[in-house]
Amino acid sequence: MFLKRHMPLFIVISIGLLTLFGHFINNTTIQNFVDNDATQWFDIIASFAIFLGALNMLKLQMLKIIRKQNNWQYSTLAVLGFVVAIFAGFFYRGANYIVVSNVNEINLLPISELLTDELHLENQNTVMSNISDAEDGYEIPKIFMTQSGAEAFMEKLDKFDVNMEIKSKKWGVHLQAKGSLFSWIFFNIFTPLSSTMFALLAFFVASASYRAFRIRNFEATLLLVSGIILMLGRVPIGELIPWWVVAILIVFGVGAISAPWIKDKKIFFGLVVGGIVLFLGVGFAMGWNQSPPQILLIPVIQDWIFDYPTTAGSRALMIGIALGIVATSFRIIVGIERSFLGE
Amino acid sequence: MNKKLAIAVILYFTVVGLYYLGDGSVFVDHTTFKFGVVALVSFTLYYYIDRARSGEEIYLRPIAGLKAIEEAVGRATEMGKSVLFVPGISDMDQVETVSGLILLGHVAETTAKYEAGLNVPVSKSIVMEAGRETCRESYLRAGRPDLYYDDMVHYLTDDQFAYAAGVNGIMVREKPAACFYLGKFYAESLILAETGNSIGAIQIAGTGSPSQIPFFVTACDYTLIGEEFFTASAYLSKKPELLGSIKGQDIVKGLVMAAMVITFIFHGLFQFGWVDFDIVTLFGN
Repeated sequence: MFLKRHMPLFIVISIGLLTLFGHFINNTTIQNFVDNDATQWFDIIASFAIFLGALNMLKLQMLKIIRKQNNWQYSTLAVLGFVVAIFAGFFYRGANYIVVSNVNEINLLPISELLTDELHLENQNTVMSNISDAEDGYEIPKIFMTQSGAEAFMEKLDKFDVNMEIKSKKWGVHLQAKGSLFSWIFFNIFTPLSSTMFALLAFFVASASYRAFRIRNFEATLLLVSGIILMLGRVPIGELIPWWVVAILIVFGVGAISAPWIKDKKIFFGLVVGGIVLFLGVGFAMGWNQSPPQILLIPVIQDWIFDYPTTAGSRALMIGIALGIVATSFRIIVGIERSFLGE
Repeated sequence: MNKKLAIAVILYFTVVGLYYLGDGSVFVDHTTFKFGVVALVSFTLYYYIDRARSGEEIYLRPIAGLKAIEEAVGRATEMGKSVLFVPGISDMDQVETVSGLILLGHVAETTAKYEAGLNVPVSKSIVMEAGRETCRESYLRAGRPDLYYDDMVHYLTDDQFAYAAGVNGIMVREKPAACFYLGKFYAESLILAETGNSIGAIQIAGTGSPSQIPFFVTACDYTLIGEEFFTASAYLSKKPELLGSIKGQDIVKGLVMAAMVITFIFHGLFQFGWVDFDIVTLFGN
């Protein structure tokens, strides 16, 4: 009971209070703990804890394969991906490079020409100066996944009388080295798959917008109108929409809102048409063709919607959320909230 | 003014006064105002917790999303399908994740009572361990420890979109009847919620990420908006001290609103040159 309940609670309360008061107490040690040590501790614990997760994932997928459960074929891909990533990360660097040394003046130009052509480098002069400046040998800017790949490239340089040596990037560095096995997996498999998932968002936004914009009530209509104005205001065509189109839309909008109170259709029609004629008449008379009022420009309306109603709404939401976080943190720090311990 | 309130007010001013005296020496320079606000919030919350403990009845308006949890689990049971709970992609250092796990406890207790299957894919190992502990206790509390197994809370991956792909895969293959998205979410929120919508699951979401709330509102049946998500523990447990803190939270919100109006007025007066002191400088410290 002590280790399972009281000890975690004691740790939570003491660290919580220390973190809170660390912001106010003028003590470098405490502030350093709050700002640096505590976060680093968390990162270290989280890094070690990943083994738990990885082993759990591997166990579940393996069980699925062994028991031939539904869709077990997908699990083979998961296990294969796991094994290959571990192999490329911990057991096989796949980050070989060639160092060329003792390049004499005669060979400098043809070697730099060859490297520029083979590796699609931009500036041959830079390659030349890099080769001549390199005291401990010039590192050819290409990573070879295999030793044989590097040897094949070396054969192209065999005709020149130079010393060549195949080296390998250090452990850890090989993860970042562009062209290594790990980075190849990252850029050619992981990144496209991630991008594909992210790209799906565009289609989901479209389907979600369709549902949100369906006209069911006043709020949905408001959302639709605001959405259209925002979309138009953010694209170049929005600036081309003349003031009189916006004026007519405003009259239609006012008409739509007041429609439930005007039963007679003829009067309603007359009012809308009259409103449009009046609005346009006043506009042309006041020379709005040359300098229309700001309120009748789509980009300006869009900016206003974004800066005022939207900001006000999101700030109200953020204040509520912040207070919720403060209250929850307070309950945890004073030990009232213990649900996360299973109580 | 009752006795307890008077004591709280005196105590508050004493604490803040002492802090002011130590400002710059014992305490960090120019932080009295910040500390005063933190102390005010803490005293208010504690005062209402104390009132609730001493028997004052606290009313909480019905929150549809929380009421619907039982309905969603019941539906899953009737359909013979599982319940999917997604606690977000953040670690335990985020309050939203903690709140999500608190709600997981309630959902797990309900699934234990109804004997429905529960599937909790997580993206952080620490959340997995905390989630397992929460579920184990809930199944024990419901009197069904036999239904609990560790792998109902399982790890997928730390990566955001790989996690979204993994959860989507679970949804499409297993077609859970109820999906809960309660935690901290980012861009994957809509991907998850729309997939859940496409399989016809009843969906309940709650998050503290303001930018994700519109997506959840659009795609889910119920959404716990803003502070509703953080009141879940109090709402579901009905413990007086937790309910008291919610009341305190609302009072603090009232104080924030009053502060905003006062700031608006006084800053306006300063702008017009009618007062010399700019109230906004208080917040800069």
